[in-house]
Amino acid sequence: MDGRDTDRLPYGRRRRTAASALVAIVVALVLGAFFNAPAMKKTAEGMPFGGARSFKLALVDPLATVSHWLLLDRPARLTAEAFGKPAPGPSPVKVVVVKPTATPTGKPGKVDPGKPLPRPYAGHPLHLYIAGDSMAGIPGMALVNLSNKTHLIKPLLDYHISSGLARPDFFDWPAQLQLQTKAFGPGAAVVMFGANDRQGLQASSGKVYWFGQPGWTTEYRRRVREAIAILQDGGTRRIYWVGQPIMPDPKFNSQIKVINGIFQSEAAKHPGVEYVDAWSLFTDSSGGYAQYLPDASGTMQQVREQDGEHFTYAGGMRLATVVMALIKKDWLSKKAGSTPAPKPSGKSSPKATAKP
Amino acid sequence: MLFPTFTFAIFFLVVFVGSWLLMPRQGLWKPFILVASVVFYGWWDWRFVFLLAFSAVANQLFAKAIERAATAAARKWLLAATVALNLGLLGWFKYYGFFVTSVANTLHVFRLNADLPLLRIVLPIGISFLTFRVLSYGIDVYRGKLRTSSMMDFAVYVAFFPYTLAGPIARAGEFLPQLAAPRDPRTIDTSRAFFLIFGGLVKKMLLADYLATHIVNGVFTTPGSYTSLETFVGIVAYSVQIYCDFSAYADIAIGVSLLLGFELPDNFDAPYTAVSVQDFWRRWHMTLSRWLRDYVYIPLGGNRKGQTRTYVNLFLTMVLGGLWHGAGWTFVFWGALYGGALVIEHRRIDVRKARFKRRQRGLPGAAADAGDQGFPAAPPAAGSADFGFAAPAPAGATVDGAPLRSAAAGRAAARSSASRAAAPLALDLRPWGGGVWPRVGTFAFVTFAWVFFRSASFGAALSVFAQLFRHWGSIGAAVTPAVLLVIVVGIGIQYIPRSFMERAEAGFSVLNPLLQGLALACGFMLLDVLGPAGPASFLYFKF
Repeated sequence: MDGRDTDRLPYGRRRRTAASALVAIVVALVLGAFFNAPAMKKTAEGMPFGGARSFKLALVDPLATVSHWLLLDRPARLTAEAFGKPAPGPSPVKVVVVKPTATPTGKPGKVDPGKPLPRPYAGHPLHLYIAGDSMAGIPGMALVNLSNKTHLIKPLLDYHISSGLARPDFFDWPAQLQLQTKAFGPGAAVVMFGANDRQGLQASSGKVYWFGQPGWTTEYRRRVREAIAILQDGGTRRIYWVGQPIMPDPKFNSQIKVINGIFQSEAAKHPGVEYVDAWSLFTDSSGGYAQYLPDASGTMQQVREQDGEHFTYAGGMRLATVVMALIKKDWLSKKAGSTPAPKPSGKSSPKATAKP
Repeated sequence: MLFPTFTFAIFFLVVFVGSWLLMPRQGLWKPFILVASVVFYGWWDWRFVFLLAFSAVANQLFAKAIERAATAAARKWLLAATVALNLGLLGWFKYYGFFVTSVANTLHVFRLNADLPLLRIVLPIGISFLTFRVLSYGIDVYRGKLRTSSMMDFAVYVAFFPYTLAGPIARAGEFLPQLAAPRDPRTIDTSRAFFLIFGGLVKKMLLADYLATHIVNGVFTTPGSYTSLETFVGIVAYSVQIYCDFSAYADIAIGVSLLLGFELPDNFDAPYTAVSVQDFWRRWHMTLSRWLRDYVYIPLGGNRKGQTRTYVNLFLTMVLGGLWHGAGWTFVFWGALYGGALVIEHRRIDVRKARFKRRQRGLPGAAADAGDQGFPAAPPAAGSADFGFAAPAPAGATVDGAPLRSAAAGRAAARSSASRAAAPLALDLRPWGGGVWPRVGTFAFVTFAWVFFRSASFGAALSVFAQLFRHWGSIGAAVTPAVLLVIVVGIGIQYIPRSFMERAEAGFSVLNPLLQGLALACGFMLLDVLGPAGPASFLYFKF
């Protein structure tokens, strides 16, 4: 690389000094930080409660305030508006306080799960809503594919990375469930939460409960019931609540067991809600964590991704197959409720949708 | 630590200042940049740092031993040990599961059930790129093309953070000479660096990630939910996504290195403008193509052992290249597709050459050899003449003792060859000629092959293809004007003349640094507003 100094660059492009580059970089980062301060604040707010979040907020909060005073947050807001994007800043999904119609004792909402389920038929498919965090993504895709094969189920996959029931300020699942039940009208729902919920929860009183505290369990139970109530109020006849699978980290597993316990007990209390045990589906013959498992034909498959937690497609299909068997038993088998569905008033497309 | 994050921006600012302050004192600068690189790499998983350290120490010891070995046989054995060590590590971390499941499933077909140990092995990020770097060092020392460096220099070469995770694959012969003397803080090509970094961020955040979330992921994972047109657009979109994603990383890595005073080889040269598969591999992941040519194809015999053997060598090289990309049969098939395509293209040229020679002999007084009648003016190194891989390297870099041709020089040679093709009795070395249709055909082939690359299994790939014929008649909601626009932009940027970008870079270079910073800040603001909510990992990290 000798001779760089004397290299002539095309069209008279000038080489600059390191000091000149430093000025440009510092100006870009400082101004960029002011321009993007609301978005940075929003990111910091979405972090788990604790020291790191408080520290980051302590840095970003004044930045956002100064940015607002100096109108430096305007360009980003105007640009977002011009492109129809949500403006950076507070969560675009407004937190909706839902009055739970299901009581802790398990009284259902508008839907009576005891009534026979209407059997879907061509032109009137079962609307299957699949919701959850990133753990729900791959099994959800597999479930969409299995649903499409039936030609009687119209699935909607709605998963959001890093989300859960713990932090409605990061992603407001109650509001999202309300929105989707209204827009999509699911007859059945498959939900999978929990992997991101091992963090502090803020109760409506403003108090933060840490994982492991009794108040945490009470609050988390309330949120699970709230989710069930929203879905059932929206007309969802069956909810398949999928637990978390075994994880490679023992500490993670002990936390997952607590969360799965809540899901399982709440499902048992609520008619129309079925708990799906994903844990044992991904253990080896000795009950331990398995990265590889044989499929139905005996072919060995990698079922978990490199991170050890998320599913490979084969793993997702393993879980989806179990869920689909339950759905078919409830909705499509001969033993399923034989009440014919009312004739659809309008045209219903059998086309399924998958939405990340 | 991902490039498009504020964390990396702060990290880089600290490294930039520290690096240039310490640069005059190399005894301090080298440990500093090494520690910075280790922090960057360990950010993913600190355990991987031990692998990096082990690789650096072991390869340096082997290289020193090769250099000092008294006999040719000893040198050969030591080289074999080096290659075995590195491929063994790569095999253990990357291919163990693939190998064991393949064996178990083969036995299962014959109703033999073996209880083979299947372990959970975490793949260290960038291990394939690391393997290529350290192998280039050992092999070049063995070949006498390179002298061993100090342990510190080699450690910096192994760990240098801009290229650690996903290339470009800078060879020891390209990078180590740059450590010989302090970089000059007065002559940084800042304008090009800023263009590369910002352009990379645009390609990643606005193009690649947009297509991934809005159409590609859905089409490839739940094909049955999409119309045929959506599937078609999704397949094309993946071609654009993978180019924008991978080239973005390379551009940012090159730009970051430039700001630190180091030049890395280019990795992409408008690959979707290629007129043949050969041409595509001259433009796509160029540092990998060069590596495969020099360390796989040529050792296999290159084109020195007759036509049939040349074809076999080409095919094997591409299959191995496919397997390098991932531990799965779809990747092997993807490589085999390219191997087959290259063999067909080489066969066409060989037939044309033979016909050309016959015609030459038939001409009165035709004494000139083929080299005067249409072969490239500067034939590539022996053994690689027909491989079609000619990637550029930084100015002054040498590999195999000869200066590397730059991409521009390569294109000039191609033009020269093309212009000669117009002369009587000229030999066109382009398998399918020039113009629009060879470009369209090459892009179609590449796009077809990407389906296997992207799909989790053959079954999944076939499902995607099947969907192309199942649901015509409606457009589908995923085909939006924005998706189409991003696809057009992703392909269109490859047709922008280099001179256009160079003029823009020249114009930017004379701006006051304050204005440069302001422009960059505005750019970052746009990326933040228009880009995805969170940065997605680069696709090539898993390779």
